[in-house]
Amino acid sequence: MPPPVLHQRDFARTTLRPRHRALMPKLVEAYFASDEPLDLDRLEAFTDEVDAAISTASKTLRAGLVAMLEIIQWSPIFILGKPSTFEGLSLEDRARFLTRLERSSFVPLALIFVAWKTLLTMLYFEAPEQLAALGYPGEKRTRYLSVVSQP
Amino acid sequence: MSACDAILHGREQGAPFFAKVDAVIVGSGSGGAVIARELARDGRSVLVLEEGGHYTPEEYGRMTPSHSIRRLAREAGLAVAVGRGDTPLISVMSGKCVGGSSLLTGGVCFRIPDDVLHDWSTGLGLGTLTPDRLAPFFDEVEETIHVETVPEALRSRGSQLFVEGAAAMGVPMKSLRRNTRGCQGAARCTFGCPHTAKMSVDVAWLPDAYAHGARLISDALVERVDFAQNRATGVRGRFLDQETGEPRVPFTVQAKVVIVACGSLHTPVLLRRSGMDTDAIGKHLTLHPGFRVSALFNEDVNGWDGAMQSVYSDHFLKEGITLVGVYSAVNVLAAALPGFGKEQRRVTSEMPRMGVFGGMVHDDGGGRVHRWLSREPLVTYRMSARDRARMFKGIQILGKMAFRAGAREVMLPVFGSEALKSERDLDFLTERPPPAARVESMAFHPLGSAKMSRDPRGGVVKETGEAWAADNLIVADGSVLPTSIGVNSQVPVMAMSLKIARGLCDDWSTYARRAS
Repeated sequence: MPPPVLHQRDFARTTLRPRHRALMPKLVEAYFASDEPLDLDRLEAFTDEVDAAISTASKTLRAGLVAMLEIIQWSPIFILGKPSTFEGLSLEDRARFLTRLERSSFVPLALIFVAWKTLLTMLYFEAPEQLAALGYPGEKRTRYLSVVSQP
Repeated sequence: MSACDAILHGREQGAPFFAKVDAVIVGSGSGGAVIARELARDGRSVLVLEEGGHYTPEEYGRMTPSHSIRRLAREAGLAVAVGRGDTPLISVMSGKCVGGSSLLTGGVCFRIPDDVLHDWSTGLGLGTLTPDRLAPFFDEVEETIHVETVPEALRSRGSQLFVEGAAAMGVPMKSLRRNTRGCQGAARCTFGCPHTAKMSVDVAWLPDAYAHGARLISDALVERVDFAQNRATGVRGRFLDQETGEPRVPFTVQAKVVIVACGSLHTPVLLRRSGMDTDAIGKHLTLHPGFRVSALFNEDVNGWDGAMQSVYSDHFLKEGITLVGVYSAVNVLAAALPGFGKEQRRVTSEMPRMGVFGGMVHDDGGGRVHRWLSREPLVTYRMSARDRARMFKGIQILGKMAFRAGAREVMLPVFGSEALKSERDLDFLTERPPPAARVESMAFHPLGSAKMSRDPRGGVVKETGEAWAADNLIVADGSVLPTSIGVNSQVPVMAMSLKIARGLCDDWSTYARRAS
């Protein structure tokens, strides 16, 4: 289904600063890397989509999300014992870092993992090729036909 | 008058705005839309002010789920209730658009259970809230929004499997009733119906209000209610700027009656910001904390084909648990699955074979709405020990149902947990439950933060909906419900607002005399 033509424009504000935008592809890669490498060009466009998605939220929520990114950026020294920013880690170490967050007994760290995973997953798997990879057939529906055919 | 003629977009306003009307209504959701129609039909000049944007059914019906959430929901769908003590972080979904949360419901329709009304009318002394006295309002609401039973043929295969699993446990399931007309089973009610089949208030109530002369302004943030000698006289606020989305151009509306219908999360904020100091404002918030269990089967389930919500069970109602069939957009479901990377990919690649079922707790309350740094509230929630036990028991029941239906793997809403392979693996939920703070919970029915009471010390508003602390200030939304109701709140909020609206119309001369 093509996107709607809106009769009014969306608000134009943004949230992510350049350093957050630089972090985002590395984070997305860590969350979603499987056997096939991710398309880096697509990750750039994906960052725009993430920014648009969070920028309709309030100042406080956006500040919270950005603060979480800062923690992700600077905490590998505490989580993995490696003196590096998140971006500087190998893909394997970034995945290990996320696993530590997810399983942390300190719940706020686990919530950072969940908050960004929830947001990024919803956006990442909305791309048509990802929906197809999930086995989603698109708009086709059949069950209602058995209802409308009833006398 | 058509919607196009009746609606002004605040984000396009460049100059300060002033209006004088009989009634100004803050909020256009299930409370505000109902009362707008009633007052307009009664011949009053009505202006509705809505903070969110205006999108037509043709527009939101074609948005992707994430685009719908960012435009129609508060906080881009990321609003939460912060847990106090051992409490989940609860995602709280509510609408911020013309039509409010009614655009984002699954369409599930229940009346307030008789035993709840019995408690209200006898235990709390709210004598007008008996089943008999509310029945005419429920009847009218259900007729207006076309409440119908979901046909069995429209049940998704995922729902059928859970019905089979429940039957194997001796748990009966019933068909849900929803406000639909011509549902095509797209399973995406919560993002705005793509077929205009869901009778949300922008379809079922507001057009009638416009036809009787009501006007609506979107992108209009009301910042305070004005008072004169303890009587509400109007509201003031600012339109949101087209570029930044921040409040900019001021507006003032004078009115004989001010109706606050911003929902349970924002009505308390507006009342406090307006200087009201009633103790109960913002307290007693109930949420119906919800949970969801996913399961992989050996057959194609294709849960996207069929009604998003079609069955429920009240078998465990005495234990405070309601089970409800659910689904969602596949990318949203993927977001709630455990793990990431290869493990997440392994599970999501089996999306066609995934069934989902949900439940919610009839909670004690324990929520509070606070004003804080931005115009959005800080919502906190302390889950009682009783409700924690109910939540884990509900999750366990859903897991058992899935295994009895033939599931080979069950994924629990506990982050950091791994997929379970047998029914015995569920025992830990009641024997050694994990911290509740690790449960992924969601809530769709925030209620009770400006509750109705028999006397001024017990709540915020009278049975008429009028504030105890100020004349001609009416509250008409879910915040006035005095306790948790244990069922979906759309129809109860509409019926309560209709009752309040009728009382307002019947007694209009009194309100008008005070205003003059």
